[in-house]
Amino acid sequence: MATVFAAYAWLVPVLPLAAFALLTAFGRSLRTTGAWVAITASLGSLVLALLIAGERLAGAEDYSQSFDWLVFGTATLSIGIDVTNLTTLMMVIVTVVGFLVNVYSYGYMRDDERMTVFYAYVSLFLASMLGLVLADNLLMLYIFWELVGVCSFLLIGFWYYKPEARDAAKKAFIVTRVGDLGLLIAVLLLFWYMPGHALDFSSINNVFGNDGGTISAGVTTLIALLIFLGAVGKSGQFPLHVWLPDAMEGPTPISALIHAATMVAAGVFLVARTFVIFEASPAAMATVAAIGAFTAIFAATIALAQNDIKRVLAYSTVSQLGYMMLGLGVGSIVAGMFHLFTHAFFKALLFLAAGSVIHAVHTQDIREMGGLAGRMKTTAWTFGIGALALAGIPPLAGFWSKDAILAAALEQNPLLFVVGAVTAFLTALYMSRLFYMVFAGKPKDGSHAHESPAVMTVPLVVLAVLSVIAGFVETPWYGWFGEWLTGESAHHAGYLAMIVATAAGLLGLYLGWLIWQKGTIDGKALAARMPGLVRVLERKYYIDEFYDLVFVRSLRRLGHALRRFDAVVVDGVVWLAAATAQAVGRLNTRMQSGQLQGYLLAALFSVVILVLAVAGRRLW
Amino acid sequence: MTLLGSYLTLAAVLFCLGLYGVLTKRNAIVVLLSLELMLNAVNLNLVAFAKYGMIPSLTGHIFTLFTISVAAAEAAVGVAILIVFYRRRVTVNVDEFDELRR
Amino acid sequence: MLEAIPVLSLITWIPLAGALVTMLLPLRNARALRWVAGVFTAVPLILAALLYAEYKPVIGGGSYEEAYTWLTVPLNRDAAEGIASLELAFDYLMGVDGLSLPLVLLTGIVSMMALLASVHIRKRWKTFYVLFLILQTGMYGVFLTRDVVWFFIFFELTLIPAFFLIGIWGLEGREKAANRFLVYNGVGSALMLLAFLILVATAGFTATPGAGGDMLRFSGSYDVLLANLTGSGPQTSLASDPIFHLTDGMKWAAFVLLVIAFGIKLPMFPFHTWMLRVHAEAPPSIVMVHAGVLLKMGAYGLIRFAAQLFPDELRESATVLAVLGVTGILYGAVLAVVQKEFRLLLAYSSVSHMGIVLLGVASRNDIGLTGAVFQAVSHGLIAALLFLIVGSLYERTGTTRIDELGGLAKSVPFMSGILLTAGLATLGLPMLSGFWGEFLSFLGLFESMKVLTVFGVLGVLLSAAYMLRGVLAITFGPQSTRYDGIKEARFVEALPMVALTALIVLLGVYPSLLTDPMQQSFEPLVEAFKSGVGG
Repeated sequence: MATVFAAYAWLVPVLPLAAFALLTAFGRSLRTTGAWVAITASLGSLVLALLIAGERLAGAEDYSQSFDWLVFGTATLSIGIDVTNLTTLMMVIVTVVGFLVNVYSYGYMRDDERMTVFYAYVSLFLASMLGLVLADNLLMLYIFWELVGVCSFLLIGFWYYKPEARDAAKKAFIVTRVGDLGLLIAVLLLFWYMPGHALDFSSINNVFGNDGGTISAGVTTLIALLIFLGAVGKSGQFPLHVWLPDAMEGPTPISALIHAATMVAAGVFLVARTFVIFEASPAAMATVAAIGAFTAIFAATIALAQNDIKRVLAYSTVSQLGYMMLGLGVGSIVAGMFHLFTHAFFKALLFLAAGSVIHAVHTQDIREMGGLAGRMKTTAWTFGIGALALAGIPPLAGFWSKDAILAAALEQNPLLFVVGAVTAFLTALYMSRLFYMVFAGKPKDGSHAHESPAVMTVPLVVLAVLSVIAGFVETPWYGWFGEWLTGESAHHAGYLAMIVATAAGLLGLYLGWLIWQKGTIDGKALAARMPGLVRVLERKYYIDEFYDLVFVRSLRRLGHALRRFDAVVVDGVVWLAAATAQAVGRLNTRMQSGQLQGYLLAALFSVVILVLAVAGRRLW
Repeated sequence: MTLLGSYLTLAAVLFCLGLYGVLTKRNAIVVLLSLELMLNAVNLNLVAFAKYGMIPSLTGHIFTLFTISVAAAEAAVGVAILIVFYRRRVTVNVDEFDELRR
Repeated sequence: MLEAIPVLSLITWIPLAGALVTMLLPLRNARALRWVAGVFTAVPLILAALLYAEYKPVIGGGSYEEAYTWLTVPLNRDAAEGIASLELAFDYLMGVDGLSLPLVLLTGIVSMMALLASVHIRKRWKTFYVLFLILQTGMYGVFLTRDVVWFFIFFELTLIPAFFLIGIWGLEGREKAANRFLVYNGVGSALMLLAFLILVATAGFTATPGAGGDMLRFSGSYDVLLANLTGSGPQTSLASDPIFHLTDGMKWAAFVLLVIAFGIKLPMFPFHTWMLRVHAEAPPSIVMVHAGVLLKMGAYGLIRFAAQLFPDELRESATVLAVLGVTGILYGAVLAVVQKEFRLLLAYSSVSHMGIVLLGVASRNDIGLTGAVFQAVSHGLIAALLFLIVGSLYERTGTTRIDELGGLAKSVPFMSGILLTAGLATLGLPMLSGFWGEFLSFLGLFESMKVLTVFGVLGVLLSAAYMLRGVLAITFGPQSTRYDGIKEARFVEALPMVALTALIVLLGVYPSLLTDPMQQSFEPLVEAFKSGVGG
């Protein structure tokens, strides 16, 4: 089939960009109209993205288009779009979640007087994210990579008057920037090592696909690790995960869109996009798998001890992103991207449902919630479906994708498989804790919670449906998704992984039911027996404190020391020079006594000396 | 000693007397007088060279006339300043002429 | 169209004519004076923009050149065989190429914006505008002249008005700041003059065969110097003559003197302390010009004279320059992190960003050099914008201390938005102009000095830390009740803010606009770097 719609793929990011421009220029005079502009633009993007996807499902060829951006004598930097199956998949995820979140926000943000500003930022984010997805070269990807970062920063700090929001926004920007610099240096390295200074993905595929071509193994590993550093920052992997939970200070729709479904998954996407470089370096692959597995289990343990509904979900996101990285690290691009695909739906669903809860009870502390199931039926049902999908209960979407990752891990390294299975257990445990504490039990006194308006619940239902069915595109018996994405039919390890994953999930749910619903096991007593462990988990392993001590404080101390250096030494030398000149001047003032005859006498003596000197020269 | 030599000697003596006066006298009027003496020593030199020098010419004479007139003007200005100064400070003592220093 | 008129001279001298007109007109009120000065600022800006639009990049300067004999001093020399005359010639030479053209346009834009921002000036308007116009002539001249003697004259011509503008209209510590400015820059000028004297007396030599023998002349023409120093001029044939012989020692001396002289102006670590006081004390519109254009004269001089005239020396000292640049980047950034006064934060940020220019120069390839010029232009725009907002905020709140401000996004959302945009541009956000300057400089330097580049990139991280700290402390957070009543920007303030922001975005999205005229400018230089590798 011919490529008809793909030629208009550039419109997908341009539509939200136009909405952003409109809202920025005329924002003050628009209110609800502004929201409609943004929603319409994202709907347009969604429709176009679906048309392109349909065309690609029918087997259209890859489409790419590129223009020169900056021309030098020796090299050219270009800008362009690349429509492949991988980018189309991401494009569909981003536009679907983006559109639903836009609709949802119309209810959630209705009372905020800066609603148009909110929609402007969201539109800019969608434009940047879609630009990132479609970018045909690494530099352009980096540029949009930074732009989504700044949009995330703006939206985290949307409620600018809250000091916590301000600090969280700043932290998010700076911590992810650490990773971004890794990506930047990777771009620099690639620019000078690639033949012809090419940065586009097809050249990268060609060069690294053939055993790295002229590029040595060491440099390949370095490039891969630096790219991975960028992904670590963006996708909240250990040790740069600290910004993501704090980012929950932003409005909840933003947490769903940016900090669960799309932007944080960009790191996974980046690794998938440059997968040939990783494949060329076993060391880099091992690093990706190790970091991913460690982050998965590490964040899951923290999620067990958090009391803020959004923070639990945030740590869950970190953990699931680690899962995706694990999938990529064990060499299965299909498993990683598949989990990204399903996770986008059920995690967005969980966040939006959590937003619906917060909207109703005006608190984020799960200890102050309870018994909401009776009053918020839709929210409770959809949240439950999301939680089950996340816990990996068959036949929901999360099960299939988690199974794919575990199967791939089992093939590579049993240790990674065990870590993955334990994480699956922990995931089910904290999700059941969350669900029971929020929705089950007796309602708290004085709470007049009620169901959210339809504009908020309809997106929940749509996402819930997607969370149920999205997994069927790739099952151990039906490998359509993997074939479509990579062109190779995926292979599965059989039933061991599936059984273990299901068992872990069910065990977690059962244990959670025992502790938080039935009360057979006294959770409080359990916690009281190991107060040290609980405190460490509650304080998130003291990583924030550690960073504060090692980086922030020492930088500040260095700054103060340098300030003294600047004032005393650098400026002191200048001062010394000036003071010397002044001292000489003062000495000379002494000689200016004002006595005319004194001056004359001095002049006379000078003349005599001069004459003697001249005459003396003649004589000698 | 040639005729020129004696003129020059006289001029030198006059110049040194004037210089001594300028450097040592405290009374400003005496300093001005000594200054005139120095100028006249120069005039004498000019005339002497014009008459007995290597290339006798009229230039020296003319230059002397100029010097005399300029000296007269200078004396007039000098004395005028002195009078103004005397009115302000009631002194003609050179030691106390240190306005610029204050 | 522009070839027909002496456009370069017009751009340079119209502001001076404006200064005369302003001086003579019997006007006393600020508004009328601003209009007159505005007209004389706008005309060169329009001419510069037309020139920019019409310019076609060609090696060596192109069709806009002006040359007039200005001053010839015959020199006595014992009659020698075959020499008809020997003279010292100072000519009036103007020219423009891809290196100077962007800076000329930058001068026009920043001057215009600073003029609009001068609404905050409260006294002695006539003197202010006269000095301001003289300053413009100096700036245009520096970028447009092709003769080192005239370069020196124009360079000095910027010092004097700037001295008075800082010293009369500045804040509390203005006189000390002006003093510091003059003394430091005076030292720089003295070193520059010394270097130019060495150059004119040796490399400025040309011999033209005439009827009665060779006509020998010394001149300050940049093209003559360039030809002689890079080995294609008549100097090579006269190398045996001990009088004209340019020894390696002299070349190094001239090179080092030039680097220090322009390093002071840039400012390069450790010659930066004078600039802090100027940034903190000068009136906002003058800091705009100062940070926007005057510092860029250092960058321009560094590339024009130190780099282009001495490619061999630059190649050998590139590592030193890069180390100085990286030191400046990190040093300025770390100090900016702990500043409590926003203007000082911006001043240290300038130190940090000018270090990037040094990196671009040290890279010795066309990407890095383009990056250096891009960084100069972009920082000019961004610094002008930042100080414009700082001036407007100071006008309203009476302070720019970070700990005394907060939550201004509530009462002045427009200015806060612009401030945030400018801050993001400073920290090198893509799609804003600051990114390209940094990226291209790093990209260029990475070819030869990878580890140093990585250290430089760390500075980008720090720039995010200090810029966000400063901007967010001012605009975000709870608002103090003290600032409840403050008003949003007036039209005359908002206009330059929007214009500068638009330019910053434009250059970020469409960088070719700036790099295309530079296309050919660095080719001879890069060739010189390459050809010298063997020898």
